[in-house]
Amino acid sequence: METNIIIKLNNVNFYYGQSRALTDISMTFGKNKVTALIGPSGCGKSTLLRLLNRMNDLIDGTRVEGEILFEDKNIYAPDIDPVEIRRKIGMVFQKPNPFPKTIYNNIAYGPKLTGVNAGDLDTLVEQSLKQSVLWNEVKDILNKSAMNLSGGQQQRLCIARALAMKPDILLMDEPTSALDPISTAKIEDLIEELKKDYTIIIVTHNMQQAARISDETAFFYIGNLVEYNKTEKIFTKPDVKQTEDYITGRFG
Amino acid sequence: MNTFNNNSMKWRYLKQHIFFGLVRASALIITLALGGIIFYIVYNGIGAISWDFITKPPTDSMTKGGIMPAILGTIYLTVGAIAIGLPLGIASAIYLTEYAKQGRIVRFIKVGINCLAGVPSVVFGLFGLGFFVILMKFGSSILAGSLTLGFLILPTIIGASEEALKSVPQTFREASLSLGVSKWQTTFRIVLPNALPGILTGSILGIGRAAGETAPIMFTAAAYFTSKLPGSIFDEVMALPYHIYVLATAGTNIEATRPIQFGTVLVLVAVVLGIDLVAIVIRSYMRRNKRW
Repeated sequence: METNIIIKLNNVNFYYGQSRALTDISMTFGKNKVTALIGPSGCGKSTLLRLLNRMNDLIDGTRVEGEILFEDKNIYAPDIDPVEIRRKIGMVFQKPNPFPKTIYNNIAYGPKLTGVNAGDLDTLVEQSLKQSVLWNEVKDILNKSAMNLSGGQQQRLCIARALAMKPDILLMDEPTSALDPISTAKIEDLIEELKKDYTIIIVTHNMQQAARISDETAFFYIGNLVEYNKTEKIFTKPDVKQTEDYITGRFG
Repeated sequence: MNTFNNNSMKWRYLKQHIFFGLVRASALIITLALGGIIFYIVYNGIGAISWDFITKPPTDSMTKGGIMPAILGTIYLTVGAIAIGLPLGIASAIYLTEYAKQGRIVRFIKVGINCLAGVPSVVFGLFGLGFFVILMKFGSSILAGSLTLGFLILPTIIGASEEALKSVPQTFREASLSLGVSKWQTTFRIVLPNALPGILTGSILGIGRAAGETAPIMFTAAAYFTSKLPGSIFDEVMALPYHIYVLATAGTNIEATRPIQFGTVLVLVAVVLGIDLVAIVIRSYMRRNKRW
């Protein structure tokens, strides 16, 4: 695999029971790039994202065809432990979902249980919270419940929680759709900062957001990858009419 | 038009009052019934209660003395039933909700559990007699009685645990798994702690039932009279519900034991409430920092 590519999909099909949610997807994700997945509801972008860290395994009756290579290994090979994959490919969800624990324990939870980066937890907690630009707001209340934080703070806490595992890739499933504009701006700044060290793949409904923060953009429609290119190109001169219709708001 | 409106409004208010009245009356009847029973027991039983009554064994063919061995026996049996029923019930519920593939087999198991809940308690008693007492050779003992009571309250505990586990938001599971934490750890570190208050709430019902049942223990654990306190889990015990049953039906002098019967009933009610109270305290302690 080329050095600047971190994930490669070869002819991936995905089924919920009998119905096919993704059709013959082949694409690559660049290392230390921000890739945005856009498209109307039900187009399969979230499904694709959750394929990358095997979160779809949790749903009964799903089936994957094709291969998804991460570090040259098919993450759906029978000898691969999905738990190991998820340690390297972190995820931030649509709705902030901190554990009903203290702020400190939210961050320390993963490293403590997995033994990954569990050396000096205090330093790790501080480091992760600084990375997600939450440290100054919470440094005096680390032992308070995370449920008392605002939505935007909770989401940055969830990002810090994922970062504490020191993943290679951060998957973000519409991370700002439940947040107000100020919190959204903070998260977008954060993504800009994080891409120096991480590969970020983000699903978003917000096209301005995709245009603002991503290097590459992939447009999905009813389970097909319609167009995939540099973000600049997609938003200025898309090759496919459907893409243009979607980004100009003619449908979706 | 105005008068029509007023009348229709009045009629609606009236209907509302009648309806609220009925609902209120229902609640009142239940409270009165409960209060009546408690009052009757306390009124008739309080006279028998004394320090000797709860700390001394019976004497003079049960017509005098205390009921200490029966109190102790009921506590042993109830604690035994909890020790067997709670882990087994929670484990079954974890399997059914977290691990088992939802489908025909799980549905079949759930139907089975519901049927178990409807089985009369005397059937559990006979099963305990046949299986634990005779086949497993435990004899009539605390062990056999606790196992029988444990199985009796199992459906209640499984049902309560299932509901409690299901009410833990799926997003907690996803968050934990997405960090590369194993399913086993996720279940034990995130799902179970958040479900425990709910599990206990439901289990309180079962625990109260275990303490109060007569039929399951009459063949498996309870003795009419023991001259000394049990020394091991293989000994027979006296138990409050069985003691009441015996005094009220089979004593040599039923009338003479009447005050003791009421006293024993009062103590049984107090023990059940005491067990419930402990569970409630534990639950509220665990609930303190739960909010989502």
